[in-house]
Amino acid sequence: MRLGRGALVGGTAVLGLLAAGALACGTAGWGFGEGGALALLRFPRVLAALAAGAALGLGGATQQGLFRNPLADPGLTGVFGGALLGMALLLGGAPGFAWAHAWSLPAAAFAGSLGVSGLLVLLGRNGPPARLLLTGLGLNAFAAAGTLLIANLAPESRELLLNGSFGDWLGMASPELVVRPLLLCALAGAALLTLARPLDLLALGEDAAQAAGCDLRRLRRRAIVLTALAAAAATCLVGQMAFVGLLAPHLARALVGPRHGLVLPLAGLVGATLLLTADTLGRAALPGTPLSAAAVMALLGAPLFVWIARRHHG
Amino acid sequence: MADLVLQLSRVAHERNGRRLLDGVGLSLCAGEAAALVGANGAGKTTLLRAAAGLLPAATGEITANGLDPRTAPPAAAARRRLYAEQHPSCAWDQTVAELGALADRPAAWADWAGRFALTALAERPLASLSGGERQAAHLARLFASLEEPYGALLLLDEPTAALDRARRETVHAAVQAWAQAGAAVLVATHDAAWARTFPRVVALEEGRLIADGPPAAAFTAELVRAVWGAPAP
Repeated sequence: MRLGRGALVGGTAVLGLLAAGALACGTAGWGFGEGGALALLRFPRVLAALAAGAALGLGGATQQGLFRNPLADPGLTGVFGGALLGMALLLGGAPGFAWAHAWSLPAAAFAGSLGVSGLLVLLGRNGPPARLLLTGLGLNAFAAAGTLLIANLAPESRELLLNGSFGDWLGMASPELVVRPLLLCALAGAALLTLARPLDLLALGEDAAQAAGCDLRRLRRRAIVLTALAAAAATCLVGQMAFVGLLAPHLARALVGPRHGLVLPLAGLVGATLLLTADTLGRAALPGTPLSAAAVMALLGAPLFVWIARRHHG
Repeated sequence: MADLVLQLSRVAHERNGRRLLDGVGLSLCAGEAAALVGANGAGKTTLLRAAAGLLPAATGEITANGLDPRTAPPAAAARRRLYAEQHPSCAWDQTVAELGALADRPAAWADWAGRFALTALAERPLASLSGGERQAAHLARLFASLEEPYGALLLLDEPTAALDRARRETVHAAVQAWAQAGAAVLVATHDAAWARTFPRVVALEEGRLIADGPPAAAFTAELVRAVWGAPAP
């Protein structure tokens, strides 16, 4: 049964409740604090998780639609890894410049994610779905190894980069650090929502889409650049994060069917819900031993990933 | 003289060193319907794809409604053209109604869904349908997209291959009605009986045009042998 537009309203309401819960939840116990002081402190982190999750969900839905592949996910196909590698190159090569120029790290992340996206398209397109996924996994491993190498060569950025590799940057969210990536998430997200109609046509195949008037080259260019931008902005907020971009579109399609006019916004909502839940659980589930959002997401996401893989190929 | 809708001149296309189309020339005017026949691999699908502008590497002149569909903005080239693929597909598990919603003309979709006996299947996922029902659903979506038949170019690649008799007759009637309303229609088919009902038959062999004329002239013994094998259907 498809839920239709009601799923967007319900999803927004659930997300609002979760966000309120996340603002009230922390190592100092439950509550917003005196005059909302604690909630105000937690606000940048909650906002960062929401924005990054939404960007990941939208990016995943776009990548799956673009490649017509249910296993595509910027986290698994190396687009995130590329963003982190871009940041690592800047932090390792010119840390002074990186911290002195606030836009330099998001720009480096974007350059990295765009580079990996380009390679992914070049090497993995026009083949069976497995080729794209395997190419992405290879690029992801290469980018992760490059980031670790730079982390070892640049001791002053080592801890930061290792935390980023483990998706553990939400803990250092502050208004100064999150404001620019938040703007980029909003920009990329709003622009990705405009791709719904061409992605619907592309679902019918390249010939059918083109014959119906879809400009495939323009669609690919826009989808790849905007997904890379969303991934770069999300990486700046959380570090490397798998599974959100994979799972959110699947859950969205299960609720509203495959039309991208609903799937894209709902995947954004579901992505925000998943990441905020993972971060809040990581902070609150084991008091005194916080887990990164990426670790919780992997714990929850890996079994779901196996289920999805079996559903599509079993 | 009716308006010229499609003009192909010396169209050629190669893939992996094999010549799939070899100097094909063809023109279709508004109100003209032609059957495109040929054995498997003769180049029918390649010719239709070239005419639809889906083969940018094809050489020669291709003009559809005054535009070269290989270089024209896709939306402009598609405005007055329908192209039905031989094997339509869908990446996600859409229902019949969700596929129909892509036509953007709800009233026309409801009409075509009815004509193709799809109304009762509206909420069924495409994956759960038979091959013929799926082909009918894709055709209904496509046909519902056509706003104004006069001067439109319809390129249909074996549209009845998987259909039962009633749905085949729906396609036959639609093609006839559109041609009468001024569309230019080119239909690839292996259905010899249907091809004989067209006022014009175009035959391909190994990428070359070997016949183009009324069925009585085009259906030579050689053509029948080459396309369907003996005895003649």
